[in-house]
Amino acid sequence: MLEETLVLFRNIRTPGYDGTLDSYRKAGGYQSLPKALTMQSEEVIALVKEAGLRGRGGAGFPTGLKWSFMAKNTGKPSYLVCNADESEPGTCKDRELMLKDPHLFLEGMMIGCYALGCHHGYIYVRGEYFPAIKSLNKALDDCYREGILGPKLLGGDYGLDLTVHTGAGAYICGEESALLDSLEGKRGHPRVKPPFPAVAGFNSCPTSVNNVETLTNVTAVLEMGADAYKNLGSPNNAGTHLVSLSGHVNRPGVYEVAMGVGLRDIIQELGGGVRGGKQLKGVIPGGSSSPVLRADEIDIAYDFDSVGKAGSMMGSSAIMVFDEDTDVVKLLHRISRFYNHESCGQCTPCREGTHWARQLLRDFLQNNGSERKLNRLQRVGRNMGGTTLCALGDAASMPIVSFLKKFPDDFRHYYATAS
Amino acid sequence: MEVFYIDDQPVPFEKGEKILSAALRAGLEIPHFCYHPALSVVATCRMCLVDVTDLGNGRPAPKLMTSCSTDAMPNMRISTKNDKVQEGRELVMEYLLVNHPLDCPICDQSGECTLQDHSYAHGTGHSEMEYNKRVYGWRDIGTFVQLERNRCIHCSRCDRFTREITGTDEFGMFNRGHELTLDTFSDRAMTNHFQGNMADICPVGAITEKEFRFKRRAWKLRKVPSVCTGCSTGCNITIEHDRNEVLRLKPRENQDVNQWWMCDEGRLTYQQMNEREQRLAKPMGRVKGKLLQVTWQQLYDAVADRLEALKPNGEQVVALVDTHSTLEEMFLLRRLLQEVFSSDQVFYSQQDWAQPESEFFIETLITTDKAPNQAGARLLGLKGSQEHDIINVMKSAKLLLVLGNPFINEQSLLDLAGTTELMVHIASRQSEWTDRADAIFPGQNYAEKEGSFLNKQEYWQRFWPALRPSRHVRPEWQILSELLHMGTATPVQQTPQFSQVFQQMTSIEHKLFGNLALEKLGESGISLADLRQQSDTLAQTA
Repeated sequence: MLEETLVLFRNIRTPGYDGTLDSYRKAGGYQSLPKALTMQSEEVIALVKEAGLRGRGGAGFPTGLKWSFMAKNTGKPSYLVCNADESEPGTCKDRELMLKDPHLFLEGMMIGCYALGCHHGYIYVRGEYFPAIKSLNKALDDCYREGILGPKLLGGDYGLDLTVHTGAGAYICGEESALLDSLEGKRGHPRVKPPFPAVAGFNSCPTSVNNVETLTNVTAVLEMGADAYKNLGSPNNAGTHLVSLSGHVNRPGVYEVAMGVGLRDIIQELGGGVRGGKQLKGVIPGGSSSPVLRADEIDIAYDFDSVGKAGSMMGSSAIMVFDEDTDVVKLLHRISRFYNHESCGQCTPCREGTHWARQLLRDFLQNNGSERKLNRLQRVGRNMGGTTLCALGDAASMPIVSFLKKFPDDFRHYYATAS
Repeated sequence: MEVFYIDDQPVPFEKGEKILSAALRAGLEIPHFCYHPALSVVATCRMCLVDVTDLGNGRPAPKLMTSCSTDAMPNMRISTKNDKVQEGRELVMEYLLVNHPLDCPICDQSGECTLQDHSYAHGTGHSEMEYNKRVYGWRDIGTFVQLERNRCIHCSRCDRFTREITGTDEFGMFNRGHELTLDTFSDRAMTNHFQGNMADICPVGAITEKEFRFKRRAWKLRKVPSVCTGCSTGCNITIEHDRNEVLRLKPRENQDVNQWWMCDEGRLTYQQMNEREQRLAKPMGRVKGKLLQVTWQQLYDAVADRLEALKPNGEQVVALVDTHSTLEEMFLLRRLLQEVFSSDQVFYSQQDWAQPESEFFIETLITTDKAPNQAGARLLGLKGSQEHDIINVMKSAKLLLVLGNPFINEQSLLDLAGTTELMVHIASRQSEWTDRADAIFPGQNYAEKEGSFLNKQEYWQRFWPALRPSRHVRPEWQILSELLHMGTATPVQQTPQFSQVFQQMTSIEHKLFGNLALEKLGESGISLADLRQQSDTLAQTA
């Protein structure tokens, strides 16, 4: 029987825990930060590197490595910006952390700031997350009042300020360079890379952009030590991760599991199986942009590398399950509509392609499909991938290509009947 | 300099330079829309994709790279012609045309449209798009340029232009995805003085000049390099004309003078070149108090006769010169007074001038001195009106020569002109002087003649004739040469060449102009400071 491995959720799963500073302290909080402050900042980075922590935002890039790329001795301030613009459809894990255990996350962020030598950190929260924003702001107020944050971090001689910045609800602002543009007060447009944010990010200063869950994991790494943390997961995929399980399962929700547990086990045992005793049709394993897996393809370990090997990606660990009655054309149309709506419009293939694909899919839904349109849809979808400035083009492309590949018959169902 | 290879051709590059800019400098063509050398790189049109077959370390790039944003590396190998690149371009072209109205037959940009060119060169010629095209509402963004958003390919050059070049920030991107549109903020009209440049940098017909709208097809236009006469900056321009009519002026790149730009005021000076009503079209002489049309020979003879009778001494001869006149004309006028009348009383309207101080270079293009050649008058040693009392000198004048239309706002001078025994007006346009003149020599305007100007920074630039002038008018330099010969010897019958006049000027004033031959003063001109340095080095080595 698969059980949750509670590291980040240990407080949240404790009955009576309410996420306030008091209860967090009672649960042993703010112990890792003092530990970090006794270390050199390079030592903290080395520890995170050794723990093998990989970014939980979607790409799975090693966090320690990212931090070590930060430009040094530039004469400019450096910044840690937390990407809390959780907007990939299906993903809702960061909200849990910010809402229910903000201090655990903030402690990780403070450790990160210290490791990077930042004296000001920004938390860019998705605009629609009103309760989470409220909870974060309250937690920050408490921290300032209790002297945890401010010119003397935990009463020491390191000064740190954290600011919550709310986005305005654009998916593209979850892309790190667009997020930085938005944070600077501009229109959120992905930037040309290089220069990467580690060299020229927020206000052209060295900047690291990290996900909420990633930073929360830093607290755990400091607490447990690198080896214990590494042992939690599978090789090269250290630690636990929060899985947002949604769709046609009996118990949808956010679960914390060790990296590398079986994908089918998560659905069957944590999710309680497919709703209404129906058959599983497919799974989108890492947020709406990841290629879909058919029911017979999900007997894999759920970590970055294994899902990648299966031809998809784990992304932000958002599992969307759909049963045998699901109309995948409708599903794909809904996904395409989303990317059409959220494309920033800079790059030609994404701006024109997302809309074109949506129009083609609408044709299918109106029983106006054809073999030609199917081929065209495939071509339009494929051509968006890898040809744009940021990953939104890929995100719009992957579902189309994979749905057409995995469920071609479902589309034929919508071919125009000659009248 | 290190090199990388484009299709096996070595291309030198500077450290940190991008593939596209190095390629363009080397004269190689990589199709692009959003890249402009003056603007920041956004890499969004995706047209400049190239296949990097070797990153310089033996490994190929995993996918097609945008050459505008990829650093050139030593020994990099790039293919711009292989199938992968062709396919990439076809794809971008197809996407760009998905919502483009393809209204080329009624589009002013047609014929000089980058989208059209690239579509022919790199497109597939057909589209699988079968849905209605996107249509934006009609918007008026001001007096100078026309916005036609349906044609827009969202390269954002205009947006970046107002942000980075003029700093006026009037343009912006609105909405998202396929509804993205470029427009002015809050329905306001454009206010900057450089809007014409937005039409120039717009790769398609989304922004076009209202002045040029529906006047001529672009491929009909013939182009002649010239210099703007709107102010003392002397922006390098191209006169675009057809059927002996100037249709528009476009800036010509010159990094030392105007970079890529010119102001809207300068663009409108084309109207003066086509001006007919105020034009002095035929030689005229005053007979019994009335101005009558005469032949050139009659006019020369009459002037010679009058001078014979007057015999003015040096003090009694005054010349007023417009700072719109060319260097050669000023030189000849000065020489005429010196050699024929032993006078040095050539006056020009001296102006204090200023240009805005701004962090944006383009602002400094508009100066308060609205004449192109004040620096030339100063350099040739003509007398400035601020330092000399012209009124007193004029009181004793018997012969007054007026070149162009200077001092037309100075009533006292105009009044004194009526009292001189002989007043000669050499100009292409009528003015208050014309009414007071005894002999009128009709000249030619900038679009018709040759000449050179010295701009505010003593940058020396020449211009070429574009229009065919009427057979009744002669260029001022020719009139002045003829007057000069008339005074010294028998009237010259043979028409002088402009190059001879130029050669005379540079050899007599070799200290100023370093004996430069006309052919050496190319399309981009030369700074006098540089010229002096060159001749100094030459003198030293000799």
